[in-house]
Amino acid sequence: MKKNCDVLVILFWFSFAFLAMPGNGQETVGIFEQPMLITSAGQNAEVQIAAVLARRAGLNYTLSKQATGAELENVKTLVLVLGASLKGLGAAGLDMDKERDRVRALITAAQETHVPLLCLHLGGESRRGQQTDDLIAEVLPLAKMVMVVKSGNGDGFFTRLCQPKNIPLVEVEKMADAQVPLQKAFK
Amino acid sequence: MNRIKASELSAALFLILTGILCFISGRSFQTMHRPEPVFPSAGLTATHRLSDYFPPLKNTHGDTEVYIFRGTEEGGNLLVLGGTHPNEPAGLVSSVLLIENIRGKRGNVFIVPRANASGFTHSDPQEGNPQRFAVPTPSGPRLFRLGSRLTNPVDQWPDPAIYINPARQKLSGNEVRNLNRCYPGRADGFLTEKMAFGIMELIRRERIDIGIDLHESAPEYPVINAIVFHENSSELAALALLELQAEGFDIRLEASPVNLHGLSHREWGDHAGIKAILLETPNASHGRLKGKPSSSLIVDGKDKFYAKASRLGWLFVPYGEEGIPLALRVARHLAALKALLGGLAELEPEKAVEVEGMPPPAEVQKKGLGAFLHPPQKSG
Repeated sequence: MKKNCDVLVILFWFSFAFLAMPGNGQETVGIFEQPMLITSAGQNAEVQIAAVLARRAGLNYTLSKQATGAELENVKTLVLVLGASLKGLGAAGLDMDKERDRVRALITAAQETHVPLLCLHLGGESRRGQQTDDLIAEVLPLAKMVMVVKSGNGDGFFTRLCQPKNIPLVEVEKMADAQVPLQKAFK
Repeated sequence: MNRIKASELSAALFLILTGILCFISGRSFQTMHRPEPVFPSAGLTATHRLSDYFPPLKNTHGDTEVYIFRGTEEGGNLLVLGGTHPNEPAGLVSSVLLIENIRGKRGNVFIVPRANASGFTHSDPQEGNPQRFAVPTPSGPRLFRLGSRLTNPVDQWPDPAIYINPARQKLSGNEVRNLNRCYPGRADGFLTEKMAFGIMELIRRERIDIGIDLHESAPEYPVINAIVFHENSSELAALALLELQAEGFDIRLEASPVNLHGLSHREWGDHAGIKAILLETPNASHGRLKGKPSSSLIVDGKDKFYAKASRLGWLFVPYGEEGIPLALRVARHLAALKALLGGLAELEPEKAVEVEGMPPPAEVQKKGLGAFLHPPQKSG
């Protein structure tokens, strides 16, 4: 019985390691430090999911849906949850141009203070579209690691952006599955 | 040109025939004032009326039942609203399923199955909708009314050209009869505003912690298969979404717009400070692309035109030939309710609400609604 349990434990860790390791063997474990600042790029509702995943993973985080560079003080990792939501932008009193300016300024501030960028796309296929794709194309090459819900990368869009820059790309089946790789990505 | 030959006799016959048709259809229409029976479970601890919380509603068609299930342990207070829009049947049927099955364990549950009782007494003009739909049970069909989105104009008329609601939102005139545009209500306003005010009074007096408003929407409407949440409930909604996805229900989050006022998910949070959630499921009988309206369309949810629209990519939900039956839509509401209660227990354990006997969503899908509804023959 114990032998069976040991085999199961080994299988579990092996499958986890397989899950957390992108196809090209890039490192995705322990590459970020806490605390992190979670914000949205596009005012999507998935930013709240990211915060819940971080809380459940026991990570030290702050959620700020319209974060600015000033909030990066004492922050060791910037987490951008990608995806444009017209409803979210409207509710926040923003348009896409203003949101893009905010995200650009935030990333510039992060680069100046050497805060690495982790990008998440959790909304899957339904959170794609021209506005989202334009934003992703601009932001993603600056990321240290990218995590996406698989259906959002059905056309290989994220793969095409990550591969030339050798950026680790982790795919998960559904949002809840992002918790473990997110946890392991942090020291 | 041929002239139609007429006589006083044929004119009289047609007049009499018209009178008979008017009488029969009028009598049939009047039956919509007869509420469908509800058979509460043994767990019911009290039945109130909305007029107990706001007496001016007494003896009006805006008054409605409030079913109360008190738990034996301390906890939070949950309000479930069905029938805010009586043409969205999953709200009513989900509420009835809860009333006929649950027992309170921790905290208290308040269920209003027909929030806009007046809206159940008529149907939408020119839609050709059936007055009732039949849910099959092992003992025969249970009939439920399919009402209108709006309060009956017999109870509230005329509509203004432009409606400025109690939250100062400017809306089109007929929204004055839409309960979900009238929050937080007016004590001295139109009947629908009084209903909204009564529900706010219930929330205040029973110290409700979380309110869930059950709705349906057309498959071509973007806010569908969704949890719409007030910003004070964002973490709760996120927790519920993760739970629902784990159970295989595809669902999305939609933040309540801060500048769109009068809706439950906005005003319950703003004016009463409760966690405010609205749930949407896809209902073909509610949409503009549907074929012939019928009881079967409502219950089985099969529609070849929606299936075609889905293939053409016109919809916001996948809609196959198998349709989206009422049992699935009710199961989604129940699963979301269960997930929200799980999330509430995780975030604020002192406000947790637990019930026993809630029909498991997977079983509702598998066995059908009839397996969890009281037999119809004991009605009346």
